[in-house]
Amino acid sequence: MNRLIEIITSQNDSLRDQSLESICGNASLSELLEHVDALDSFRRHETNLYRRVRALFFLAAIYRYLIPHQLSPTQTGLIPYAGYEHLLARRFSEAIDTFLESQVTSGPQDGLSSSLASAYHQLGFQTLADQVRHSVRSVRGNQWMFRLGHPDDHPLRIRPELLNADTFGTMPILQETTAVRMDFSHSAWSDIFFLGMDFPEGARVLNVSIDLGVRGRDAAPKPPIEAYLRVIDRPVIRLVSVDLGATTEITTIADMFDFARDYLGLLKAAVIASGVVAPGLEGCQQPIRDVLERLVGPNRGLELVSKINDIPKGSRLAVSTNLLGSLISILMRATGQVASLQGPLTESDRRLVAARAILGEWIGGSGGGWQDSGGVWPGVKLICGTIASEGDPEFGVSRGRLMPVHEVLEQDQVSSEVRQRLQDSLVLIHGGMAQNVGPILEMVTEHYLLRSDKEWKGRKQAMQILDDVVEALKAGDIQRVGELTTQNFEGPLQTIIPWATNRFTDRLIEMCRARYADKFWGFWMLGGMAGGGMGFIFDPKIKPEAQDWLGQAAVDLKREMQTSLPFAMDPVVYDFSINDNGSFATLLRGDQAMLPDRYFALVLPELLRTPTRDLSLQTRGDLERVARRCHADGEVATTAALLLDSVLPRQASTSKAESSLSQLLADTGFDREQHDQIRSDMRLGRIGLSQNRLSANTSIEDVQPSDVTDVRGGIDTKYVDLGKSSIKNDEIAIVTLAAGVGSRWTQGAGVCKALHPFNRFAGRHRSFLEVHLAKNRYTTSQYGGSIPHVFTTSYLTDAAIRDFINQNDGFGFGNKLHVSTGRSVGLRMIPMVRDLRFLWEETSQQMLDEQQQKVRESLRAALINWAQVAGEGSDYTDNLPNQCVHPVGHWYEIPNLLRSGTLAKLLEQQSGLKYLLLHNIDTLGANVDPGLLGLHIDSQQTLSFEVIGRRLDDRGGGLARVNGRPRLVEGLAMPSEQAEFALTYYNSMTTWITIDSLLGVFGLNRNDLQDKVKVDAAVRRVAMRMPTYITLKDVKKRWGHAQEDIFPVAQFEKLWGDMTALPEVHTNYFVTNLVRGQQLKAQAQLDPWKRDGSADYIDSICRW
Amino acid sequence: MQVRKAVITAAAPSQQTIPLQRLVDREGQEKTALQLIVEETLAAGVEEICIVICPGDQRSYEQAAGDHLGSVRFVEQNHPRGYADAIHRARKFTGDEPFLHLVGDHLYLSRTNTPCAKQLVKVATEFQCSVSAVQSTRENKLPYFGIISGAHVPRHDDLYEVERVVEKPTPTFAEQELVTPGLRAGHYLGFFGMHVLTGDVMNAIEQVLSGDADSRPTLSDAAALLPSRQRYLAYRVHGTRYNIGVQYGLLIAQLAIGLSGRDRDQILTELVDLLANRAEATQAS
Repeated sequence: MNRLIEIITSQNDSLRDQSLESICGNASLSELLEHVDALDSFRRHETNLYRRVRALFFLAAIYRYLIPHQLSPTQTGLIPYAGYEHLLARRFSEAIDTFLESQVTSGPQDGLSSSLASAYHQLGFQTLADQVRHSVRSVRGNQWMFRLGHPDDHPLRIRPELLNADTFGTMPILQETTAVRMDFSHSAWSDIFFLGMDFPEGARVLNVSIDLGVRGRDAAPKPPIEAYLRVIDRPVIRLVSVDLGATTEITTIADMFDFARDYLGLLKAAVIASGVVAPGLEGCQQPIRDVLERLVGPNRGLELVSKINDIPKGSRLAVSTNLLGSLISILMRATGQVASLQGPLTESDRRLVAARAILGEWIGGSGGGWQDSGGVWPGVKLICGTIASEGDPEFGVSRGRLMPVHEVLEQDQVSSEVRQRLQDSLVLIHGGMAQNVGPILEMVTEHYLLRSDKEWKGRKQAMQILDDVVEALKAGDIQRVGELTTQNFEGPLQTIIPWATNRFTDRLIEMCRARYADKFWGFWMLGGMAGGGMGFIFDPKIKPEAQDWLGQAAVDLKREMQTSLPFAMDPVVYDFSINDNGSFATLLRGDQAMLPDRYFALVLPELLRTPTRDLSLQTRGDLERVARRCHADGEVATTAALLLDSVLPRQASTSKAESSLSQLLADTGFDREQHDQIRSDMRLGRIGLSQNRLSANTSIEDVQPSDVTDVRGGIDTKYVDLGKSSIKNDEIAIVTLAAGVGSRWTQGAGVCKALHPFNRFAGRHRSFLEVHLAKNRYTTSQYGGSIPHVFTTSYLTDAAIRDFINQNDGFGFGNKLHVSTGRSVGLRMIPMVRDLRFLWEETSQQMLDEQQQKVRESLRAALINWAQVAGEGSDYTDNLPNQCVHPVGHWYEIPNLLRSGTLAKLLEQQSGLKYLLLHNIDTLGANVDPGLLGLHIDSQQTLSFEVIGRRLDDRGGGLARVNGRPRLVEGLAMPSEQAEFALTYYNSMTTWITIDSLLGVFGLNRNDLQDKVKVDAAVRRVAMRMPTYITLKDVKKRWGHAQEDIFPVAQFEKLWGDMTALPEVHTNYFVTNLVRGQQLKAQAQLDPWKRDGSADYIDSICRW
Repeated sequence: MQVRKAVITAAAPSQQTIPLQRLVDREGQEKTALQLIVEETLAAGVEEICIVICPGDQRSYEQAAGDHLGSVRFVEQNHPRGYADAIHRARKFTGDEPFLHLVGDHLYLSRTNTPCAKQLVKVATEFQCSVSAVQSTRENKLPYFGIISGAHVPRHDDLYEVERVVEKPTPTFAEQELVTPGLRAGHYLGFFGMHVLTGDVMNAIEQVLSGDADSRPTLSDAAALLPSRQRYLAYRVHGTRYNIGVQYGLLIAQLAIGLSGRDRDQILTELVDLLANRAEATQAS
C-alpha cells in the first residue's frame, strides 16, 4: 500500500499523525506523481469522509508545494479554460478530471499544478462543509424543521403566558440576558468543527462567561446581550436591532430568508433556527400571517428586539454567536421547546440552544467554533470534544461528535476568591481591529491535516498548556495563568499560524514589558486572532494604573499605525465580571413590560408621524407608558433626552464631510473637467466595464518564443558583468509604486499597503516598503554603488509614507530616498447598474457554498437597489473624504515623476543615472538583478517588461500578440475571458526603463524637465492616447461600533502596461522565474507564500 | 380482568353541546353523538357508564342518551380543573375496578368488524393492565395530542410497552425523546381518546391533582406516572377517530360514517353532483 494511504487509514496514532513531508520531503518528481495517482484513486473510492478529506489535502499540498519545486523553470504551460469554468461553478471533481487529462497529454506543469492544488483544496473544504451541513440537519431535534413544508403544518404554539395581557391590555414581554464568552485557551483553534469531529481528544477549550461594560461609558458590567420578545397586535414579525438602528416588518416567508437585505440577518437566522419560521419553509410563497395564525393566533404577530450594549464588532468574545444563542433561546422558550419560560437554562436546553446556534450560523452563511455559544453557559467551563458512539448521527462518519460536552467548573474547583483575583488582574481591551478570522480557520484546518512536524508539536504543546491553565486556575495562581497564556500565544499559536499576531499587538506587549517588567504577568489572545479583543494580565497592585495607561497607550499606538493596519475604531478598555447565570430569562408584566429606551428612540420618529387614530391600541399603550416613564423619578433625564434627541433635528455633519472633501479635491489638483467628462461618458454608456474590452474581432494570440527573452535558465555572464558595472557606476534607480491602498489586501479598508507590516523578517514584522529597501541595500552591498529609491505616492499614502520614513530616519538611505507625490486624483462614483450586472452576471464569478451564495445574491440585490436609490453615475460622497477619492491608475506614476520634479532631482543628484527599475509594491522578488539590467542595456530598448509563467491565481491579462504585434493586454481589456487562458505569460509589471528614450516618447529631453508647462503638456498629450478603464472597487464605510459596510464604487484608471501598445515605444519582454515576479495581492496568499519557500527566498535577497 | 364500567368526559365548557349533535349512523338511523359513543361503549361489553358533565347539563344529556339512559349515570364537575380532574369525579363510580374511558367529543370508526372500544378492551383483558389506544400521528398534529413512546411488544402487532407520556410535546422534544421505532419519520404514537385504565390510575390522578391549585393537569400527566408503577401498554387501534369539536369536524365524521354504511352510494352520488355543479358554476363565472 502507498505509504501516504497507510498514514491516512492507520488506526495507530503514531502512524496517523505522521506528516506529509516525512514521506515526500525528498521525493523525486516520478515518486510524487506515483503518490498523487495513488491518492487520487484512493479518494475516489474511499467512503469515509475524513480519510477522503485528508487525501484531498495531501493532494493539494503535493501539487502546491512539492511538484513545482521538481519542475524545470520552463515547465509553466497553459491552464485549460474548461477546468477553470468548472472550478468557478464549484464542480470541483469535473475540474480535477479536466486538469488531470491535460496533465496526461502535456506532462506536469506549474500552471496545471497550481490549478490542481486549488481544485483539491476547494473540494476538501466543500466536503467538510457538506458534512457540517449534514450534521446540523441530522441532529435530533433539528430534523423536523427541514421537513416542515407548509405553514398549515406548523407544529409550534406560543406559550399561553405570553398571550395574557394585563387589565390595561399590556402584553407581557419575555426578556433574555446572556453573557459573552472569553476563552483562556482554545487549544490552537481546536473548536473548529472539523477538528473536533476528527480529533475529539485534542478538541478542548476553557472558557468563561462574562458581563461587560465599556470603561468610562458604562457604570458597571452587565450581561452585554439582551433579547426581548412579545406578542404584537399586527400579523407580522417585527425585527429590531437597537444597536444597528435597524427595524423591519417581515410580511412574507420569503423575506425571512433574505438575509442581506438589511442589517437584521442575524435576527432572521435566529427566527429560522428556532423553528418559528423553520428552514423547511424556505421557498414558500405564503405570507408570514399564515405562520403566525398557527403560532400565536389570528391577527397577531411577534416582535423580537436585540441589544448588545454597543459592544464593538471584533471583540473576539463571540458576541454575535451568543446573541444568536440568546435570540434562539428566547424564541424556543416562547414556543415551549425549552422547558423553562423563566430563569436559567437546564444543561439539556443549553445543548439544544447551542446546536440551534450552530444551525443558525450555517443558515446565515457565517461560521463560528463549537464553543462560541459559551456565554449561554454559566461561569467557567471546560468544553471537550467527544468520541462518537453508536446512536450518534456522526457514528461511522467521523471519530468525534458535532456537539461537544460542557463541564462547568464549580466553586469547589475555582473558588469565588480566585474568580475575584482574575478580575483584579486582567485588563480587557478591544484593540480596534475587526478582521475576519475565516481565512485563519481555513489555514488551521489545512495545517492540521498535513500534520507538519513543527505544527503538530505546537498543537500538542497547546493541549498541554490548556491542562496547565486549568491547574493554575484551580490553584488560584493568576500569575501562572498569565505566563501560560503568553506561552500559548508566543509558542504554539504563532507556530501554527504566524498571522495570529501583528505588529500592533507585538508592540503593545513590548510596551507593557518595558513599562511594568515583572509586574506585567502576561498576554492573553482572545478568539481567533490578535488585534481586536485582547487580555493583559497585571499584578493586581498596579492593575488600576496599568488599565488607565494601557487604554491611552493603545489609542496612541493606533493613531501611529492606522495608516498601515486596518483599524475599524479606536481601542477601548472594558470592565468585566464573571457571569454565573449564563443565559437567563424573565417575564416582564404590567408596568415592567417595557422595551429599552433606545428601542423607542429608534421607533418614535416614525410613530410620531402617524396620526394617533391610526396607531394600534398596543402602540398607543406603549407610548403612554413611555410618557409616564419620562415623568417618573430616576432616569427621567436620560430617557427624556434620548427620546427628544431622536425626534428633533440635529445639525447634519454631512456638510462638514462634504466641505472637507471639496478641500481635499482642491488640494490634490482634482481635474473637475476631466471628471465631468468621464462621468457623463459612463452615464451614457460610452465607457463602462463592457466597453473596457477590446473589440471582439481583435485577434489575440499567444506570443512566439522569438517575441521574448527567456532568462529562466540563466543569463550570460557578459550581461551580468554589464549590469554589475552599471550598478557600480550609479546608473540605475528604483521606482516603487506605493500609491495604492490595497483594495484586495484589506477589502477596501483604505490603509497604505506599502506600510502594512505583513510578515516577520529578521525577528519582527516588516512592511513592503522595508522589504524593498532591504533588497536595495543588499544589491549595493554586493555590487557597490548606490541606488536611489523612489516611492511614488498618492494623496492617500503620501503623508503616511513620509511620516514613516521620517520616523525611521530614512532607513539609512539619506538623500537617496525620495517620495514622489502623486498629482492625479479621481472622485469615485456610484456604479451604473449595468456595470454591476456585467460584473456579477456577465463575467465569470466564483460561486460560493450553497448557503453563502444565497446570502451573496441577497446582498447583490440590495447593492443594486442602493445604486438606483443613490443615483447611478453620481459622485460618491457619502463616506470619509479619503474613501471618496481614488488614485487614477499606475500609468500616471511615471509622468508624476516628471511633473513633481522628482526625476529632475534624481538626475541633478546623479547625472550618470540612465535607467529606472519600476515595480509594484507587492512584487516582492523584484530587485536590481545585474543580469536583467545588462540585458536591458544591451538591447537599447525603451522599456523591458518582465513576465512570468501563469498560475491559476494570476488573472488580469498577460502578454499577447494583438493583431500580430506583441504587447501587454490588461485583463479588463480581454475581449473574452477565455482568451486569457491561451496566454502563456502573465505581466508582473516590473519594468526596466531607459530614461532618455522614455523622455523621447513624451517629446522631452533632460533639460525640459525644468519647464513645468512643457512637461504638463507632454503628459497630457500621451495620456490622451492611453485607454481609460472603468473599474469597480470595494470601499468600506465604517459606522456605529466597528461596523463596516462594503460598497462597490466606480472609478477610472489608466494602466502602465498599455505603454506597450504605443508603436513608437520599443519594448523587450523578459521571461523570469515565478519567485521574482509573483505578487502578494490578498492576505490569503500569505500562508502558501511562506510555506512554499518564497518568504525565505525574499529574505535571502535582503539585507536588514 | 373484566371491564364492566366506562367513564365518558363531556365537561369542558366548550364541548357542552357537542354530544347532543345529531348524525345518521351506518344503518341510516338518526342518533345523537352521545348515543353513538354510548353504543360504542356498550358494544365493548361495558355495563355501566358514567358521564362527567358541566353542572346543569344533565337534562339535555338524558334526552340525548335516548334508549340507553338506563345504563347511564351522571357526575358533575363543579369547578373546571381540567381533564384529569374530570375523570377523577368518577372515582366513586369506578371504585377500584378497571374502566373504559372515552372522550365525549370524538366518534370512532373501526376498519374491521370489531368496534374500536372492543378491540381495546380485548387487549386489556388479555394483558391484565392499563392500555391506551393510540394512532400514528404526524408531527404537525402534536399540539393537539398526548404522545407516547415505547418499545414494540415482541410477537404482538401494534402493541407497545409505554415508556414516556407527554402532553402536546414540541416537535423538538418529540424528535429527541419520543421517537418510536417502526413509524415513518416525523410520526409519533398519539392518544386516540380511548383508554382502559386500572383502578390505580385514580391514585396517579390524585397525585397530579395534589399539586398547584391553579394547575389544570391532563390525563397525560397522570398516565406519565404509570410506567414506573405498573405495566402500561399502548395499542394501535384499527380504526379512525373523528374530533367533532373542531371546525367541520361533525361534517367530516358524518361523511366518514355515511360512506362506510348503507347509504354510501347515495352520499357518493350527492357528492359527485355537488362537485359537478360546483365545476359548472366555476366555468360559468
